[in-house]
Amino acid sequence: MSTVNTWTSTQHFWLIILGFFVAFLPRYIPLMLFTKREIPEWFNEWMKFVPVSLFTALVVKDVFIDSKSYQLIFTQVPEMLAAVIVIIIAYRTRSMAISVITGLIGVFLLSMVI
Amino acid sequence: MNKRRPNPKQVPDPNEPLWRSTLRVAMPLNLSYIPIGLACGILLHAAGFNTLLTGLVSLLIFSGGAQFLIATMLTINSPLLSIVLMLFFLELRYALLSSSLSPYLKGQSNRFLFIFAISLNDENYAINYLKFATDKKWTGKEALMVEHYSLLFWAMSNVIGSLIGSALKIDLGIVNFALTALFLYMIVMQIKNRLTVVICLISGVLAAVCMMITKSTLGLVISTIISSLIGFGLETTLRKRLPDSHWFWKLRSPGAKQSAVEGSDGK
Repeated sequence: MSTVNTWTSTQHFWLIILGFFVAFLPRYIPLMLFTKREIPEWFNEWMKFVPVSLFTALVVKDVFIDSKSYQLIFTQVPEMLAAVIVIIIAYRTRSMAISVITGLIGVFLLSMVI
Repeated sequence: MNKRRPNPKQVPDPNEPLWRSTLRVAMPLNLSYIPIGLACGILLHAAGFNTLLTGLVSLLIFSGGAQFLIATMLTINSPLLSIVLMLFFLELRYALLSSSLSPYLKGQSNRFLFIFAISLNDENYAINYLKFATDKKWTGKEALMVEHYSLLFWAMSNVIGSLIGSALKIDLGIVNFALTALFLYMIVMQIKNRLTVVICLISGVLAAVCMMITKSTLGLVISTIISSLIGFGLETTLRKRLPDSHWFWKLRSPGAKQSAVEGSDGK
């Protein structure tokens, strides 16, 4: 890494503690509320589409968006090709481990060639 | 994957202890956490986290996405407040995941829900949700065990990754792709019919547009909310007007029959 973070371990520790609260509350509050009373039907139907929307958005961010300027980029050719490979492997094997490892090997080999 | 292993649904072994049967359910997930956990540990080490704190962050936050985000934002020296805010938006999706699990956790004590929420995560959610939906015997206790197994493997591989981080020089771009591959796998597993594919495309385009407008990952939250609402709207309208629409045709995967969560597409 060219840029080195200058934070101390104490600052890292406080980041973890604050991070814990923002990670924990969204998981706990709905569980606490909706195990006591009914979830509305529409809420459930809507929920079905949330994971798939979010994961697609995250993949688009990783592959097509520049992490500093937030501009659309099409230069990450190894990642794009490896993504197609991962989709095919995931579809055929349904195995998380095989998909991720093939993806890593794929992007490693492709970035050496391209 | 395991053709020779008997299907646990058809041949239940009454003598198999609970810890082993749940471990068998959790094992594919546990194994897939090892490369990602190692990558995450290496990345956190590069961001300046020591090994002890890497262990702590994987136990307390337990989210691949969040930990990769922390590492990335630390290397570009973002201020504390902006990292925490980013984390909040990234973790907001768990509100939706945990509310979709709540019908299966009715009647559990507050203490149980507290512990369950701490170790809830995208991947163990996927396993537990499918198990709850397809297996009548699946209980909260077993779901919690799956969560703890995955937490254990995640934290261990993070710590080991942190330890080897100093010894190895690895291209961070490639390590980062572990997370992308994981999300791609999750998408493929979620796709049930043609409508979901359409929602994927909409979500992808919206995500790019929203992130370019907001210049931050806040665009992720906005695009997720919009595209899931579009999906919800499209499905409700189609079901009302055209119940036999070809958009509801199921997509069958050639690997689906061997899957441990077989039968999930039968509903």
